[in-house]
Amino acid sequence: MQSLKNSLGQQKYIASDEIATVLFLAQQLGKPVLTEGPAGVGKTELAKAMAGVTGRELIRLQCYEGLDETKALYEWEYAKQLLYTQLLRDKLHDTLANTHSLKEAADRLSMEEDVFFSMRFLLQRPLLRAILSEKPTVLLIDEIDRADAEFEAFLLEVLSDFQISVPEIGTLQAVHRPLVILTSNNTRELSEALKRRCLYLFIDYPALEQELAVVRLKVPELSPKLARQAVELVQSLRSMDLRKAPSISETLDWAKALVTLNADNLDKNTLETTLSVLLKHETDLQRAKRQLFNASQPPRDRRQDSGLGTSARWQN
Amino acid sequence: MDQRIAQFIAALRASGVRISLAESADAFQAVDEVGIMDRDTFRIGLRTTLVKEARDLDTFEKLFPLFFQSSAPPPMMDATKGMTPQEAQMLAQALRQFTEEMRQMLEKLLKGQPLSQQELRQLDQMMNMDGINDMRYQNWLTRQMEEAMKFKEVRQAMEELLKMLREMGMNRQQIDQLREAMQANQQALQEQLRQHAGEAIAQNMVNKPREEDTDGAMNRPFRALSEEDMQTLRKEVRRLAAALRTRLALRLRRARTGQLDPKGTLRVNMKHDSVPIVLKHRDHTLKPKVVVICDISTSMRYTSELMLSMLFAIQDQISKTHAFAFIDHLEYITPYFQGKDPSDAVREILYLMPSGHYNTDLGSSLLSFSKEFMDTVDHRSTLIFVGDGRNNFNDPRLDIFHTLARRSRATIWLNPEPAALWGTGDSDMLKYAPYCGRIFQVGNLAQLADAVDQLLLH
Repeated sequence: MQSLKNSLGQQKYIASDEIATVLFLAQQLGKPVLTEGPAGVGKTELAKAMAGVTGRELIRLQCYEGLDETKALYEWEYAKQLLYTQLLRDKLHDTLANTHSLKEAADRLSMEEDVFFSMRFLLQRPLLRAILSEKPTVLLIDEIDRADAEFEAFLLEVLSDFQISVPEIGTLQAVHRPLVILTSNNTRELSEALKRRCLYLFIDYPALEQELAVVRLKVPELSPKLARQAVELVQSLRSMDLRKAPSISETLDWAKALVTLNADNLDKNTLETTLSVLLKHETDLQRAKRQLFNASQPPRDRRQDSGLGTSARWQN
Repeated sequence: MDQRIAQFIAALRASGVRISLAESADAFQAVDEVGIMDRDTFRIGLRTTLVKEARDLDTFEKLFPLFFQSSAPPPMMDATKGMTPQEAQMLAQALRQFTEEMRQMLEKLLKGQPLSQQELRQLDQMMNMDGINDMRYQNWLTRQMEEAMKFKEVRQAMEELLKMLREMGMNRQQIDQLREAMQANQQALQEQLRQHAGEAIAQNMVNKPREEDTDGAMNRPFRALSEEDMQTLRKEVRRLAAALRTRLALRLRRARTGQLDPKGTLRVNMKHDSVPIVLKHRDHTLKPKVVVICDISTSMRYTSELMLSMLFAIQDQISKTHAFAFIDHLEYITPYFQGKDPSDAVREILYLMPSGHYNTDLGSSLLSFSKEFMDTVDHRSTLIFVGDGRNNFNDPRLDIFHTLARRSRATIWLNPEPAALWGTGDSDMLKYAPYCGRIFQVGNLAQLADAVDQLLLH
């Protein structure tokens, strides 16, 4: 488990003990992992890091409303089938040349039927690709809550038995069990049946030290002092009653913005200009500015006196 | 250990976490993998296999320490250690002044001995703990145990003892030390009792019989529901909503056979050299927009809550929901439902407008609706009223109601009262009725489910 955690760290993903344990279990038990949590806490990133650690190919299925099996599983390539029939017309002619009755011709044709419903004409979509891949893969099913409820039912076969039934061909069994990671933003309840088949991992906003570690890892150019100040500010923003709390990815964007602007201090001016990277609603922005600037002293001084402890004073 | 895990799973089930057989099997498998040596990994292993909903995580974290902890009581300190023989003599002499029972307790506190298993068992026999199977009683039970142990008297005796020692001439520093140690030890005992109470309750939860089925509650009128029935119903609503959602989605899909869309067809068939192999149709149906106006006065509270829960559970089948609540004035309540349990949201809303001295007044609520929120109603929205139409003889404002009904695609009224009661007393239902497209009587959950299914039908 520790080694898994370390190798995730090498992939620039800071995993908590919990995440490492769950992933370890997922590998051992061969079960999919369902990760939930607010947007932008690194759920998708986790799958990418996992693919990096195991050296597997990442196959991603982005879910959306109206996603159906032809987009997720497989589709017959009608055009190719038609094209082949056109091109093979002469050959067909030969095959059917010395038949005497219509019945005999049909019989003979039906013997050749398999040619047209073979893997050759099967357009592989992400799920089928993950199942049939010669090399082991990591399958990421992203934002499953956006897909329709029926689509979930459809995933059940894939997730529990790692097999796919294609009526014309038969059941296709996985060559290697892919490591499956599902993510959900919890916009709707997922079905019990789906949850039952998965390991559950809830990722919340990280604690201060952890987030700081992420920022230091991903944006090493930012000075340690400023990084700490920035993360403290973000953490205090999350405790405010905002319409959308800033996520880790937004913290990173902000950190990069600070580097680009060559900021060496979080003074009022810098905040004014860059806060919109963190907060995406006008009302949130107004509220945050009111709270940050309406203090008796400018926020910068307060933080310099006592560092860590002051973040509590912003909570309201 | 397996036994203990099985008990833990039973307790989780008893506190309302849904765990299937397959999941408990997974848990055992996970434990085999991670082992039980490291308590934290063990906990995460169990949690990831057993708990599949964020809202159940709290329950898990609360129950886990009760089942899996080193049963060692909290550490205590021995206050008599650093004493000179002379001081020890004094103490023994002072202790002799108390009754037998009190002396034992005081000695325990002085020496820092935790309660033994036997003493705990005796305590259990004194308390009647059968049937206490809810974690909310833990603090209460702890207090009961403290009382049985005469904590208050012991505290007094402690003060007396210290006073006596001072009179006997023990030095001040030593006395202060004694006091601190004894207080700390008493707190440790309290903690031990708390743990014990929790374990006892957890044990009761394991033995708790399975919940009765929900059929009875489905058909019971809303008026006759208790808070416990409400709990089962809330669960039931979730299940029903899932079923409804699938049904609605299917209906939407089947209805997707509109006109041929030539542009779309051309675009899709580009790769086939514009030979129309795949046909595209225009989407025929639109997801409904819903504006719901709920009466949340005392008589209507449960109906409205369940209706709102149902609506917000099938949110993905509706393109937009605007919810309003009123008693004497109107409030826009949609924001309260975002990312929250509907029952909590309703409680918050009730806090916003506590029912009480003022009266239900749909008329003035309609007026403020037409002033501020008229733009939420258009030809695509279904307008739903949930209420009993009892206006306390205020002006019903039929003119506004009529305008709203004309503006919206459909106007639907859900009323818990049977039709025979409409128009009696202060009910304005008969006056509103002609403007409504459909009126459903929703006296119980079964009827409510039917109504919701119907009202999204176009």
